[in-house]
Amino acid sequence: MTPAARRPFLPLTGKALLDTWRSTLVWALVLLSVLALYLPLYPSMAGPEMEKLLASLPEELIRALNYDQIATGAGYAQATFFGLLGFMLSSAVAIGTGAAAIGEDEDAGLLELTLAHGVTRTQVVLERSLALLLRMAFLMVVIYAGVLALNGPSELGLDAGTLFQAVAQFLLLVLLGGTAALLGGAVGGHRTHGTAAGALVAVGGYVLNALGNQGEDLQWMHAFSPYHWALGGQPVANGVDWSAFWGLAGLNVLFVALAVLALRHRDVGGA
Amino acid sequence: MENAISVQGLAKRFAHREALRGIDFEIPRGSVFGVIGPNGAGKTTAMRCLLDIIRPTAGSVRVLGTDPRRAGPEIRRRIGYLPGELALERRITGRRMMDHFAAISGPVAPGRVEELASRLGLELDRQSRKLSKGNKQKLGLVQAFMHDPELLILDEPTSGLDPLMQREFLGMVEDARGRGQTLFLSSHLIGEIEQAADRVAILRDGLIVRTATVEELRAGARRRLRVLAATDPVTLAAALKPLPGLQLLDAERLGEGAGALEARFSGEVGALLHALAGIEVLDLVLEEPDLEEAVLELYGSPPGNGRHRAGEPRP
Repeated sequence: MTPAARRPFLPLTGKALLDTWRSTLVWALVLLSVLALYLPLYPSMAGPEMEKLLASLPEELIRALNYDQIATGAGYAQATFFGLLGFMLSSAVAIGTGAAAIGEDEDAGLLELTLAHGVTRTQVVLERSLALLLRMAFLMVVIYAGVLALNGPSELGLDAGTLFQAVAQFLLLVLLGGTAALLGGAVGGHRTHGTAAGALVAVGGYVLNALGNQGEDLQWMHAFSPYHWALGGQPVANGVDWSAFWGLAGLNVLFVALAVLALRHRDVGGA
Repeated sequence: MENAISVQGLAKRFAHREALRGIDFEIPRGSVFGVIGPNGAGKTTAMRCLLDIIRPTAGSVRVLGTDPRRAGPEIRRRIGYLPGELALERRITGRRMMDHFAAISGPVAPGRVEELASRLGLELDRQSRKLSKGNKQKLGLVQAFMHDPELLILDEPTSGLDPLMQREFLGMVEDARGRGQTLFLSSHLIGEIEQAADRVAILRDGLIVRTATVEELRAGARRRLRVLAATDPVTLAAALKPLPGLQLLDAERLGEGAGALEARFSGEVGALLHALAGIEVLDLVLEEPDLEEAVLELYGSPPGNGRHRAGEPRP
């Protein structure tokens, strides 16, 4: 047997996943708790109560919070979870993971030693991007299972196939914050650069969407909001929007490819 | 003999600092080469360039026959590297850390990690964050040595090690040399590597001020000389003064017809004995040459601005 044949498959991805599995489980529990807190409230809020609540809120706030579809089960699930807390929490995990992948590793002085071993810089970026994808995909599976489990008891009336498509599209959205954070770290060499880049994409997308919702003359902002691409078409009710799906997927790939180029062409560890 | 490392005109400019200003050196396969220099002289920068962690501004670098910039990961499996500012993951045992490095840079012979660890008195099953600085350094040494690479590049390898472990480390260097491995070491004190290195380069402010064997350095180093003779000190001084490399420090009369003389001497011992031939010497002390002082003098010698003057206490 050659030495190469004995070498494990995707060693950096495996290590990244093993190093974070405890925190991944904690995040899964947090996401499930949020689902368990919000979704069961739907039956008591649907109907006249909801109408009253919506009537009492200023129209701008309803639009900013994406509550205009909240009277349906799918709209409720999207507005309360996928559009708000679920988006924030999942984005936080993705951005943290992406910023840690290169920037934080370099800050801590660990990347230098890894690169002195038998890996390429391209491999480091790609394997850690894969770990980011797998970690987020696992959390999405948890979310999907959680929503499905609560679907009946909470009288949401969601279709399992449509929900799957929505979660897949949602995955690409939160992943974008993560790949932006990874790119920021690969370019700047610090965790803070990654976190800033990830937050810019996630929060920026959210804000552009909220502003775009306010009226005809601001609607152009939707075009620049990944958040709007992913959630503007009400995916929980309508399923995947292929142009948004491929657009988000392509942007994720682009960010990772740029991260590869950035890391390959600079000094590691600074002066 | 083929060179393990060959560097020509290597320069590296960072945004605000010129770390290396064109250095040349060659390290033949199977030899031990040391680079000595004060902090900030460019030792770490040179080593990082060899591993393609940072990229040279100018010059050519060949490591194990290839350009590290273009070589794939295969070349780094044939190198063991210990960074100067060693950072290790915190929440992981030494054993798991070594398993991971073995997975990407292996193969590692079975039992090799345990053998190195026991040699250095290192516990592999403790979490890295609970280890002392010296024990972390030992982990760094184990990951560099464990796959028995052709070339070892070790930045300040003895930093943090107690004297006993420094000696153990020198033993590891000897063994590696015995197996035909090439070693490139750095230190800011020559005393830490003089026993290990065949050749030494003195680096200062991004330039090599001298490359020499340890014996050559020693031969050029000044020794302290003290002569006690049954002669008055004036005669004694007159006999020794013409010697090349002698610098008179003190002469005193010790009673009737006896004198003592102190000097610094960097010349040949044969000439000294010859000069003393006609004198009734009562006692003679010629100390070991002070290599550290010799190196410090080189730090202060041109080219450069002489920031480190000879005789100045070590930082």
